Amino acid sequence: MDSLLGSNPTLASNPAYSFSKAPYNSAADNKEHAFYPYTDNGGSTLGITGEDFCIIAGDTRSTSGYSINTRYSPKVFRIGGDDETGEGAHIILSVVGFAADGTALKERLNAIVKMYKYQHGKKISVKACAQRLATILYGKRFFPYYVTAILGGLDEDGKGALYSYDPVGSYEREQCRAAGAAASLIMPFLDNQVNYKNQYLPGTGEGHDLEPRQALPLPRHDVEQLVRDAFTSATERHIEVGDGLQMLVMTKNGIEELYHPLKRD
Amino acid sequence: MSSPFAINGGACVAMVGKDCVAIACDLRLGLQSLTVSNNFPKIFSYGDVYLGLTGLATDVSTVSDLFRFKVNMYRLREERQISPQTMANLVSTSLYEKRFGPYFVSPVIAGINHTTGKPFICGFDSIGCIDFAKDFIVSGTASDQLFGTCEGLWEPDLEPDDLFETISQALLNAVDRDALSGWGAHVYIIEKDKVTKRLLKGRQD
Repeated sequence: MDSLLGSNPTLASNPAYSFSKAPYNSAADNKEHAFYPYTDNGGSTLGITGEDFCIIAGDTRSTSGYSINTRYSPKVFRIGGDDETGEGAHIILSVVGFAADGTALKERLNAIVKMYKYQHGKKISVKACAQRLATILYGKRFFPYYVTAILGGLDEDGKGALYSYDPVGSYEREQCRAAGAAASLIMPFLDNQVNYKNQYLPGTGEGHDLEPRQALPLPRHDVEQLVRDAFTSATERHIEVGDGLQMLVMTKNGIEELYHPLKRD
Repeated sequence: MSSPFAINGGACVAMVGKDCVAIACDLRLGLQSLTVSNNFPKIFSYGDVYLGLTGLATDVSTVSDLFRFKVNMYRLREERQISPQTMANLVSTSLYEKRFGPYFVSPVIAGINHTTGKPFICGFDSIGCIDFAKDFIVSGTASDQLFGTCEGLWEPDLEPDDLFETISQALLNAVDRDALSGWGAHVYIIEKDKVTKRLLKGRQD
């Protein structure tokens, strides 16, 4: 026995222990267990509006820590569709952060938008839906849905509308917004290429006389290209972004879904 | 926010073009959210080589002075200018000497090697690990934002004028999304026989 247990005096004097751990008897040594209700599933989303359309995009990778859960887990959804395919929907929603809360939030908003139609006999406006989403999020002010949401559609005048949220319901209508893990990489690029920030018209003067380049609504083709560029760039430099790019394009003719592969490394 | 790298704020970026390189930095010096100065350049020149230093401001000053001393000694002993590659190794070994009590800086080097005529850029972590990049190097509190703008705007073989526009837009738009960086910028465009330094006003908030 002595040879088996080596020279460890604690183990040698107590043959009941076959593992290399000293016995403990203090109550303070009890193992503490904890439940963490949130995980970060990574990924990024992005929304841009045009004159008569609205695009919301998101990568399809889902991660926890350094592991990839799946290469296809959509973050962009149709809201207010007639069935589970989303056919007939007139609002699009993206959620990034904690995927389980994202799914729960999407299901809840979808149910509310449907109930609105049954009760009022008309489709909910994007403006009203945006306010309702803020109320839902704030309703869980002290145990929030751990998500950054972006809501899109067409407003009463048929113009592209985009609303962005924080996890507890602060929201704002914007022309463009990036959210999620690579938001810090994508957002300054969008400022420059969508709103033409820091761009001036050459030859219009010096200093304060310089005329800023006016930001006009971009055509759909340009916006789609910008979204692809933003995500290929983010994929290059952020480990939680990649695998696939899913895009929902909302026009007066309905919602179109586009998919582009991204790097899977 | 008690990281020594994020107390004073600041950003720096270097890019390679066609037979030219560029290096740029912001001008802010702050103490957490309080801006103390809007004239604190983070790029220092050592003959043909340019060194950008972001991080803890006291270490930025100390390290820039240390390299002024070391490069002067090199020049006296060798009777020639230091090349960017030699400078990179000097920076690396000097930082590693302080392996267990480092200077809290993230250096960036840009220059043209006058023997080969080739552009050269590189970056380091605070203990001297060299990052040789063919495209661009970023550092500072706006590094995430800079990675985004550079990856989106940069393309190979830019002429000096286009490289200036690219690096300026990359830096300006990146620092506008970082509360700890901004308040103007310095941009150096380095060609074989010419260096152009430009001062950008940028957003003053």
